Amino acid sequence: MKRFEPQVVWIDRDELDTPIARAVRGRFRGPIELFSGSAPIGRRSVQDGKRMLVLQRHRGGFLRHCPAGTAGLVCCNYLVVNLASNCPMDCSYCFLQDYLADAPALTAYTNVGEALAEIDAVLRAHPERRFRIGTGELSDSLALDPLTDLSAHLVPFFAARPNALLELKTKTDCVDALLDLDPCERVVVSWSVNAPTVTAADELGTATLAERLAAARLVQARGYLLGFHLDPLVELDGWEHEYASLVEAIAAAVDADRVAWFSLGSLRVSPPLAQAMAGRAAGGPVAAAEMVPGADGKARVWRGLRLRMYRTIVERLREAFPRAPLYLCMETADVWDQVMGEVPSDRGLGMRLAAGRAW
Amino acid sequence: MAESAVRAYAADKHFAPATLERWLALPAAGRDALLDLCVRLRLGENQFRDVLDDATAIAARHTTTVAAIVTGAEIAAVLARGQGRNETIKALKTALRRLRYPQLVVAEQRLRELARALRLPAGIDVVLPENLEGDAVTMTLHGRSAAELRAQARALAAALAGTEIEEMFAVLEGRW
Repeated sequence: MKRFEPQVVWIDRDELDTPIARAVRGRFRGPIELFSGSAPIGRRSVQDGKRMLVLQRHRGGFLRHCPAGTAGLVCCNYLVVNLASNCPMDCSYCFLQDYLADAPALTAYTNVGEALAEIDAVLRAHPERRFRIGTGELSDSLALDPLTDLSAHLVPFFAARPNALLELKTKTDCVDALLDLDPCERVVVSWSVNAPTVTAADELGTATLAERLAAARLVQARGYLLGFHLDPLVELDGWEHEYASLVEAIAAAVDADRVAWFSLGSLRVSPPLAQAMAGRAAGGPVAAAEMVPGADGKARVWRGLRLRMYRTIVERLREAFPRAPLYLCMETADVWDQVMGEVPSDRGLGMRLAAGRAW
Repeated sequence: MAESAVRAYAADKHFAPATLERWLALPAAGRDALLDLCVRLRLGENQFRDVLDDATAIAARHTTTVAAIVTGAEIAAVLARGQGRNETIKALKTALRRLRYPQLVVAEQRLRELARALRLPAGIDVVLPENLEGDAVTMTLHGRSAAELRAQARALAAALAGTEIEEMFAVLEGRW
């Protein structure tokens, strides 16, 4: 996979001596511009925002509940910490196309120390709880790592915390920086993976499945736990075969006993995202799925077909990974009941995943 | 056909710039095929956008072009029926829906067959979730007297003792 090289890096003058800015200045060979106040990047599209990198402080809190915990959906009590915003890759279905329309510049936050202090306070305040915390909500967890070296701050921090797991969620193979760090069983590197046809047509600029699995094998050998997110599942012609071959490829590549979890989530598209997707040049299989509007206004593959997909893929996963925990992302209790045969409480699901207990 | 004809049609029907932009972004064959359809059926913007959305999704599903869908056999058959404008637009939407949601349409058809097989008397309506995006089958009894309602309830109870209702829920639950 080609490493991300922004056309230009903008750095807030006041942040020049932060570890993140120092790392980028030491590694980036292209033009670097300085600014004070707000980055002078003007109005641009989310796609244009991906071609630059802005380094600045994040104002406000870092840690929050994953927005997937929307009322009416089963939640896994996941926390997200946003240390970057936007992503250099360009998936056709990505919600950031809508979500970041007003703040599209790819940004890495420089006050990582403050973020870690905030996390530390929460972990210390609740020593009896086990937290799962991820950095991959508004950006890819590892895509900027070759420039920012963020992992060098995150992994040792979490390695020393007994009541938290860090999840680094990615579609890249940018794992070099992880290989010299000791995760002490506290770090899950997880890959979003999809049917080969979807990856080829709808996940532009990402690593191939073979590259992702090669990277997974590498980090697993260095003591990291693995996660896989089959999300978004796309209803395309031949989905049974494509997702079966995906599960087989994962099973052939990694040690099944060291997979922390699998998640499955059906493609969901809000009306503004649908508009953004319609404006894209080419439509891959994602644009062709049998999706209908749901009660929350988002389009999903219609329920019967969605259930059929979940059941089929869950069955494959359970055969290949009998001890790995599985969960559904952003699904209702009735879908959980239909697919998994139970409806866990939010707290119960979060605790099971944090403990690595199989279903 | 010239791009100017597309622009003229869109201007005449007050299409939003974003809609026109999507239309013009199509390859010439698709752009022209849609213009033919628009002129023939005097499509407004919402109708045009629905056709474009459907045709784009169907083209992606079948790895073909919007032009191939709009000029394909299914749409040609609708246009050849010689019905009035409103009936033709309705038939066009149905034909496009059949192409865009092939499995959903089959499931809906199967559910309608099963509902008919219940042989419910007049006065009992069966309502399925819209687009089958739900888990409930609603049955409504309309009676003008206690006796009429009792008769309907007996008929309904008898109907629900059969296997059709189980199969209806199986279809809704993706078990087919």
